[in-house]
Amino acid sequence: MISIDQLAYQSALRQNSAAGKMAYAWMTLVVCVAGRSLEVSAAAFVVNGFLVIRKGKISPLRYGKMLLVPLAFLILGTVAIIVNISEIPLDAFAIRLRGWYLTGSRAGVRKGLELCAVAMSAVSCLYFLALSTPVTDMLGVLRKIHLPSLLIELMLLIYRFIFVLLDTAERIMTAQKCRLGNRNLSTGIRSFGMMGSALFIRSVKRAGALYDSMEARCYDGEIRVLSRERPVRKKEILMIGAWEILLVFVTLWSIMK
Amino acid sequence: MKEYEMDQKQEWAVEAEDICFTYEGNDVPALDHFSLRIARGSRVAFMGGNGSGKSTFFLCLNGIRRPDKGRIMIDGKPFSYTRKGLLDVRRKTGIVFQDPDDQLFSASVYEDMSFGVLNLGMGEAQARQAVEHTAEELGLTALLDRPVHALSGGQKKLAAIADILVMGPEIVILDEPAASLDQMHTDLVRKVIAELSDKGITVLTATHDMDYAYEWADVIVVMKDGKVLRRGTPREVCTDRKLLEQAHLKPPVVLEMYESLKKSGIISAGEEPPGSVEELKKILTGRNDVRKGISEMERTPDAEENN
Repeated sequence: MISIDQLAYQSALRQNSAAGKMAYAWMTLVVCVAGRSLEVSAAAFVVNGFLVIRKGKISPLRYGKMLLVPLAFLILGTVAIIVNISEIPLDAFAIRLRGWYLTGSRAGVRKGLELCAVAMSAVSCLYFLALSTPVTDMLGVLRKIHLPSLLIELMLLIYRFIFVLLDTAERIMTAQKCRLGNRNLSTGIRSFGMMGSALFIRSVKRAGALYDSMEARCYDGEIRVLSRERPVRKKEILMIGAWEILLVFVTLWSIMK
Repeated sequence: MKEYEMDQKQEWAVEAEDICFTYEGNDVPALDHFSLRIARGSRVAFMGGNGSGKSTFFLCLNGIRRPDKGRIMIDGKPFSYTRKGLLDVRRKTGIVFQDPDDQLFSASVYEDMSFGVLNLGMGEAQARQAVEHTAEELGLTALLDRPVHALSGGQKKLAAIADILVMGPEIVILDEPAASLDQMHTDLVRKVIAELSDKGITVLTATHDMDYAYEWADVIVVMKDGKVLRRGTPREVCTDRKLLEQAHLKPPVVLEMYESLKKSGIISAGEEPPGSVEELKKILTGRNDVRKGISEMERTPDAEENN
């Protein structure tokens, strides 16, 4: 989470309009998921990789490692769809095992691959967004599209407090380690529990202090803040539009063929 | 008690009259019949141990805590604890909290700085201008887009100060502004505080650094157990040994040096205590024998080299 946040701030695409990036990511994701086309998913996956690595200047190794996380889950799920245990061998492949076959049909393999491709392309869309657009910029766009302010305020405070609490937890854990708090499993479990309760108490205290500080700045129940303005350029709008239209056409073509 | 300002016709920025405040569930009052007047444009250092009531008084000045008894006036007007009254108070008095993590809640510095000005009812364009102008003044422009959690301790403190200054307060309260800062950031923060005073803003700060308070402040307020033990000029307060002992404070180094130089006869007894290291230097260089001693000291290495 922290490394993704840091990478988003380091991305060379950071200065591009957050609205444009969000529109691109979400529209591509919707087309990929709704169309379920292998070709469209592959294209989206490749383009997102290109944008993240070449344009965003994120290390390919890092990006690759990040993709491996969902891929592992996906492979396990897809295997269940593709591979069957049957007495009759199917048309794609069949491995004989003592009178039974570990087998799969062509349709099943295609369905599995499609599912895998769609899921990976959807993940790549989200990674593109997460690795090029910091949460601060996203919140600005959500405000502009008039998402209920309560949701945005909650997102804002949760985002801020993740880091504050992580920092506090880290300090508590270091203090525990210094006093052999993680010597063995039982002390580790006890220390973890103690850290949890200390963190809860500190969170409550910090929330009180934060409320005071917000009140000191005339807080009236609604958090109003300004984000940096980065309008979408015409060139970006045209490119995103052309890309999405192309994806829709390819999807329709693959459905009709 | 000698009131430093009694003989002057001052305009009071802050007047606190007989304030009492006790936190819920506590028997001991945090502020106990606390009275104080602060002149407009003055630099006031609040000193005293932990729990002496400094922070509570600051919170009362901003209307965050409401005294159980007594009244507070800003610019001669008593506090009104209505929504509009508190808005007026908070427009005039800005408070920078001790821990910037208690203050900076937003995702980026830009967002955090815009929070206060928007709450004051400023338009978007004007708010953007105010944020950018204040950031430029404090040298924070490069940090505006940074997420708050990615700032160092000193940068967070500066951002917290900027949060308040952008609202254009007449009174700025800083609760231990140099707490847990390195020397570089302490100097930076102190430079900002000095600039505030130059602009005529009334600055109230809680500090444990006697040397800083002695050189910077116009008035030092020594507190203990929610009461004002003494208020006066740094010279009046810091030369009162009994008072310092009572408040568990140490005199500034410059005064201690002055005292030992006086005891050893290097400085005459009639000499006024210096207000700063520079003043002490002036006193010393004003004496012929000291000048002679310094020039002899300067000659000694040459003599040793010749030998």
